[in-house]
This record gives sequence, structure tokens and C-alpha cells, in this order.
Amino acid sequence: MGKVARQVVEQAGVDVNALVDKLVRAAAAEFTTFYYYTILRVNAIGFEGEGLKEIIEDARIEDRNHFEALTPRIYELGGELPRDIRQFADVAGCPDAYLPANPHDAKSLLNVLVEAERCAIRIYTDICAFTAGKDPRTYELSAAILHEEVEHEAWFSEYLGEGPSGHFRRGAPGASPYVRRFMTAEFDA
Amino acid sequence: MAFQEVAREADVPPGQTRFLNVEGKPLVLARWEGRIYALSGLCPHQWKPLAGATIWDGLLTCPWHNFQYDLRTGENRYPSNVYPAGAEYLREQVAPLKTYPVEIRGGAVWVDLSG
Repeated sequence: MGKVARQVVEQAGVDVNALVDKLVRAAAAEFTTFYYYTILRVNAIGFEGEGLKEIIEDARIEDRNHFEALTPRIYELGGELPRDIRQFADVAGCPDAYLPANPHDAKSLLNVLVEAERCAIRIYTDICAFTAGKDPRTYELSAAILHEEVEHEAWFSEYLGEGPSGHFRRGAPGASPYVRRFMTAEFDA
Repeated sequence: MAFQEVAREADVPPGQTRFLNVEGKPLVLARWEGRIYALSGLCPHQWKPLAGATIWDGLLTCPWHNFQYDLRTGENRYPSNVYPAGAEYLREQVAPLKTYPVEIRGGAVWVDLSG
């Protein structure tokens, strides 16, 4: 834990225990989504599925990156990840992104993906609102993740015919253009 | 029908929710498009309190796991819309939120919690 790092956030008026709880829930949602997106990606096959595979992979790797970027902040603030992964999965801030009953139905697959991203957007908007003007480090990290989640939603929404995303795909899978500066491990993407 | 006064209308600003404990029964009030709705205050997913729930477009969002419920009927709208069809083991997770009849009397919110 960073003693002063936590103290200054408390002094700014943030309930740090509540913030840590939000960050753990967010990290759990990223970790479980990374797992479920792996299953969704491998099942994205056939005429319709193959076209989705690359953006699912981008979102999958970037969600893992979000987990990696969130974890140090949890410990800096005196929190910790649950020691049992089952408990960790149960506190995830978003529902599990299950493979649809018919995995070859691309629209069902896309609905799972777009709703998962919408849930993530709600999570990071909440953390940004909770920390704005009080905890610049958590705010910037959450805002960076939010930028990527918004792009993920737009990609999947575009496939559903809800309008253009305005973006092109990443240059390399899971490049995390906003979050990479928060990654503590070596980053090759 | 056993209506009882639980809050003042002004306690539930437009577009917001208010979590109450009425004689040991958790209750959430929500005001959407000029109308106040009363629903059970515990999310049926993991029986967590709905204090801090938000509303948008007629849906109430649980702050714990972002499950969403129709304010008018209590039906789960998310993630029931993306859970695999026929997955019986998930059905319990997306049970509806109980709704209660509401009447406004002289600026007060009356709810029938007997049902």
C-alpha cells in the first residue's frame, strides 16, 4: 500500500474502501470477460463469424490489459484481490458473457459482446464520476479504460447495423492505445 | 390492499431512486417520466440491496452487477436478453424484481406492500 497515496485520496473526500470495492469489481469483470471472450472468439467461425474474430480479439486482449492496469491501483490504495478466484468471479461488476445457445448465430454473439461493453462503460463512468477532481490517478486510469470500452461498444454496435463506429481496427491485436501507458509489464503490441 | 405512506414525493427527484427500509422490508422507489414506481429493494441475482440503483430509459440498473429491470413490470431485461436460451441453471439469476402498487396522496407516496 502507498500510505500517502491512500491518505491524499481520503483527504480529498473519497471513501477509499468504496473505491477499492468498485475497482475490484471492475477488475473481476475484466478478468471474467477476458475468459468468456476467449470462448466467443474461438467460436466466431464461418462466413459471418470470421469477420468478427479480429475485433473480438482486440476487445479480449484489451480487457485483459484493463485487468493488468487496474490491479496495481487496488494494492496502492490498500486493497487486494480476493484470494479465491470463485469469490472474484462472483463480485464481477458485469454478468457473465456466455456463449449463445447457437454459437453460429452471429447476431446473438454480437448482442452478448455489445451488452458486455455497455456494462463496462457504466462501470468506468461510475468510477470516473466517483473520483473526478479528487483522485487524479484512478480517474485517469478509469478514463483511459472507458475510452477503450466505448470504442469496443461502437465496433460491435456497427456490426449490428446501429450506425458507423467512426473507427478502424487496431494496428496490432489488443494495442490498447489509451491504457498502454498504465501497463506495468512490458508491452509489445 | 394495505397502502402505507413510505415517503414524500419530493424525496424521489426525477430520474432518481431512493432506497428505503419499510418495517424491515427493503424497498426502492424510482421516478421515471413523471411517475413513481415501487420495487423490491433486493436484487434477485445475489439478494444485494438496490441502494444507489440508477435508472435510464425505463430500466433500473443494480449497482452491484449491472443487472437491469423494467420499472413497470420488474422483468429482468439484462442479462436475460443475452443469456443462452434454454440454460435452466441461469434462470434463477434473472428472476423478476417484485413490483408494488403506488398511489400519490397529497404529495406523499403510498405503497401497498401486502402482496
